[in-house]
Amino acid sequence: MSVSDATTALTEELAARDDMIVCEGVNKWFGDFQALDGITAVIKEREVVVVLGPSGSGKSTWIRCINRLEAHQEGRIVVDGVELTNDVRNIERIRSEVGMVFQQFNLFPHLTVLDNITLAPIWVRKRPRDEAEELARALLERVGIPEQAEKYPGQLSGGQQQRVAIARALAMEPRIMLFDEPTSALDPEMISEVLDVMKELARSGMTMMVVTHEMGFAREVADRVIFMEDGQIVETGTPEHFFTNPSEERTKLFLSQIL
Amino acid sequence: MTVPMGDPAAAAVDPAEAWAAEPEPAQKPEEPSLSMGEWLGRNLFSSAVNSLLTVVFSLLVLLVVRGLLNFMFSEERTWRAVKTNMRFLFTHAYPQDQYARIWVCVGAIAVLSGLSIGLLARTGAGISVKKLSINLMGTGAVIAVGILLREPSAVVDGEGMALHRDLSAAAGDSFVDWLDANAFAVLGALLLANLALAVWFNFQGTYLRAATEPRIAHGVLVLASGGVLIVQQYATGEIVRESFADAMSDRAWWWLAVAVLAGAGAALWFGLGDARRRNTFVPAMYVFFVGAGVMVLSGWVYPWGHYAFLEGEFIAEPGSTVAMTTRLPWTVMWALLVGAFMLGRMLRAARAGPKLRVPLNLLWVLTPFVLYWAVLRDPDLDWDHVLSTDIPMAVFFAVFGGLVVWYLTHPRIGEAGRITAVVLVAVAVLNWVAAYFDWYAMLQKARISFLLLAVVALLAHHFAGDRSQRMKLVAAWVGTMAVLHWMVTLVNSPSTVETPTDALIGGFGITLIVAVFTLLLAFPMGVLLALARTSNLPIFRVLATGYIEVFRGVPLITLLFFFTLIFNLFLPQNMSLVDIAGATIGFALFSAAYLAENIRGGLQAVRRGQYEASDAVGLTTVQRTLFIVLPQALRVSIPPLVGQVIATFKETSLLAVVGIFDFLRIADKVISAQSEFLGVKREGLLFVSFIYWIFAYNMSKHSQRVEKRLGVGER
Repeated sequence: MSVSDATTALTEELAARDDMIVCEGVNKWFGDFQALDGITAVIKEREVVVVLGPSGSGKSTWIRCINRLEAHQEGRIVVDGVELTNDVRNIERIRSEVGMVFQQFNLFPHLTVLDNITLAPIWVRKRPRDEAEELARALLERVGIPEQAEKYPGQLSGGQQQRVAIARALAMEPRIMLFDEPTSALDPEMISEVLDVMKELARSGMTMMVVTHEMGFAREVADRVIFMEDGQIVETGTPEHFFTNPSEERTKLFLSQIL
Repeated sequence: MTVPMGDPAAAAVDPAEAWAAEPEPAQKPEEPSLSMGEWLGRNLFSSAVNSLLTVVFSLLVLLVVRGLLNFMFSEERTWRAVKTNMRFLFTHAYPQDQYARIWVCVGAIAVLSGLSIGLLARTGAGISVKKLSINLMGTGAVIAVGILLREPSAVVDGEGMALHRDLSAAAGDSFVDWLDANAFAVLGALLLANLALAVWFNFQGTYLRAATEPRIAHGVLVLASGGVLIVQQYATGEIVRESFADAMSDRAWWWLAVAVLAGAGAALWFGLGDARRRNTFVPAMYVFFVGAGVMVLSGWVYPWGHYAFLEGEFIAEPGSTVAMTTRLPWTVMWALLVGAFMLGRMLRAARAGPKLRVPLNLLWVLTPFVLYWAVLRDPDLDWDHVLSTDIPMAVFFAVFGGLVVWYLTHPRIGEAGRITAVVLVAVAVLNWVAAYFDWYAMLQKARISFLLLAVVALLAHHFAGDRSQRMKLVAAWVGTMAVLHWMVTLVNSPSTVETPTDALIGGFGITLIVAVFTLLLAFPMGVLLALARTSNLPIFRVLATGYIEVFRGVPLITLLFFFTLIFNLFLPQNMSLVDIAGATIGFALFSAAYLAENIRGGLQAVRRGQYEASDAVGLTTVQRTLFIVLPQALRVSIPPLVGQVIATFKETSLLAVVGIFDFLRIADKVISAQSEFLGVKREGLLFVSFIYWIFAYNMSKHSQRVEKRLGVGER
């Protein structure tokens, strides 16, 4: 699909009210290497999208472009009606709307779990401290580790840290959650505790975009699966279609290697 | 990181209370302590090579220690030069009738230290009684060796002063003479014998753990070597002015110290069984308090030091030795320190630590300013001016600035806030331009306050929050204005304390003051420079890099000369910089460049993910830097930062070169020029080195504890 075609298609779609993330011909290069090649996709409100693909296919780069951790060079990205440009105010607004969970957790090691979670609500959302702490404790309850509030991240297991990271992102009351391989750095016995939290989140109606290798999760929770390779979207479809009857050769090859 | 930090409440057990309680039941069966022989065998003589190294290096250490102790205890040493000049060494010409001010300063620092240690310091496991006892006995033994290893061959004049060493007078017992003359040959032979023994036992195959013969043989040879050294000391000693017994009785007080130390050590050792000796721990702090207490109390028992001299005779006039004039204040200081420590421990028990940490740290930062300008300087305030100008101006800035801060930290201030801030910056800059061209008159401190307000206004929106948050910020602003205006008023008032030099105080006092103010200036500069050097904005990067490279490339002494001698020529007519201020600025600019590089290292150690996580939750750049990046970066840079602090502290001795009467200069130039102590330098220099070393060593020890507590390097 050429970029101009995509643009026409999108102008119509942009009208739709429940579009949370709209990407339109997004291109990105790292030096001479093209990491994203004409990415065009729309993610609706309350939709859970799982992005699959071999390593180096641009999944992470794409998801990181959506809250501007990486800047795209061509095309448009519109998040919740706000276009991502170099305007700092737009970026700040989008970042407070979009929660992100990283592969390496990236908790702040010098702050307690409670401070990790309350930091942004207090300083970005300008909430009173008591209120923020109440919210944080409620979130820790939700991710199943209310007793760890006073500890430091280094004292927790990987699974617990990742759940704190999810709570930290949720504390900003985001409309969209991005997950960048949230279970890849975990020991096998800890993966399920994180996935359970994510499933609960999906059921609650959160708009989610998840980069993962957990096929079980994709099959069970995803509304849609997007398969990427070489910076391009190869195939999009429901999990059922994707896992049982993929139309593209490359998808079949990938699935045969991984399953 | 696996170690908890920050919140002491998080620590499950307070070690201070735990030490007295039963040690936790050990699961592993207790291994009995090794006997002395076994310990030596396992650690020092476990193999032939190890034995050889032990023997060679213990002889080397003996030689070095012998030289040092000989120097210290020699009759030729005029330690009286140091004892008599204590006042000079520590405060130079600060007037005697104003001395209470110095004690107020020492007292303030004692109280703050006691509070901080009591409230915040973890005592850790402490020192085991066994280690304490070994240290006490060891110190006693070293002093005893020092007293014995004297250098007695001195010829004295009628007044008991040493003239020169007389070697020609050596005569007497032929064996002793021979040993004296051939000491090094004998030592060499013993060394060779040791080597041969090691090789022999090795080939015999008896160099096993169990074999005792090699160890005994080595031990005998090492003891013999030590004996040769001692004999050599006394070989020429018999013929000089005093007998061995006289010499020893002269040092009766030293022997008493040896007896007390060794006695206390032995009592601890034999008072407890092997297991309890090892498993009973005493907090290091208490050992320090008791030690300091014994030193202070000793002043009431024995009149340390010399003070007065009369017609070339040294007399300890009743009531005028160092101990006599200072024992009362020192006792008070000791009581303050211990009292504040107890208070701190009580507050800690009440879980007040986390709440008091910030106020206490603020107090530490403020103390040097208050002590120097308000206490030591005793400013002569012009009350008319204070009431008509200073106080109204401070109130105006506090109120006006407070309102601005309150307004600008509103959560939804938006564009109006930006415009207000920009207007304030424009006015602040205009004030300085106007002052330059004489458009309108405005006091300098008003211009500074305005500039400060403009900077605060620019940053305010990053710290917006709810009511209580905004109240805190307003209170911080009002507090800053109060302190700033008070300090500026004090600095602008003349001092009532009269001293013969430009500087208010000299000696160790000025060394400490310059070091402290240098660091207080250099540290914020260093942080800003490091941030600028790693900034995305090229202009900051280029300027910071330029600054750092220039100041690291220039010798410190040229900076000091520039700021004390040349800088005044560049200043406007009615302005000048006193030497101390100039030197402090020179030191600060220099240290800032090095501190910046250390902090930059820390900044680079903060992982990429930390930046991404901060960005992803929507923190602004300023918030990210203050809350996430700097705390982690500074933590990582603690070891090099302490290194730089120690270096700065020692570099203040360069003050001596630019003509300021600092600690080193008093020892080097002032004492040696006194008619009673003409040319006596070495004692003073040794003493000065010792005091510098005590401070530097304690700083490095403290940093090791901080590092451990913060878990640097454990992530």
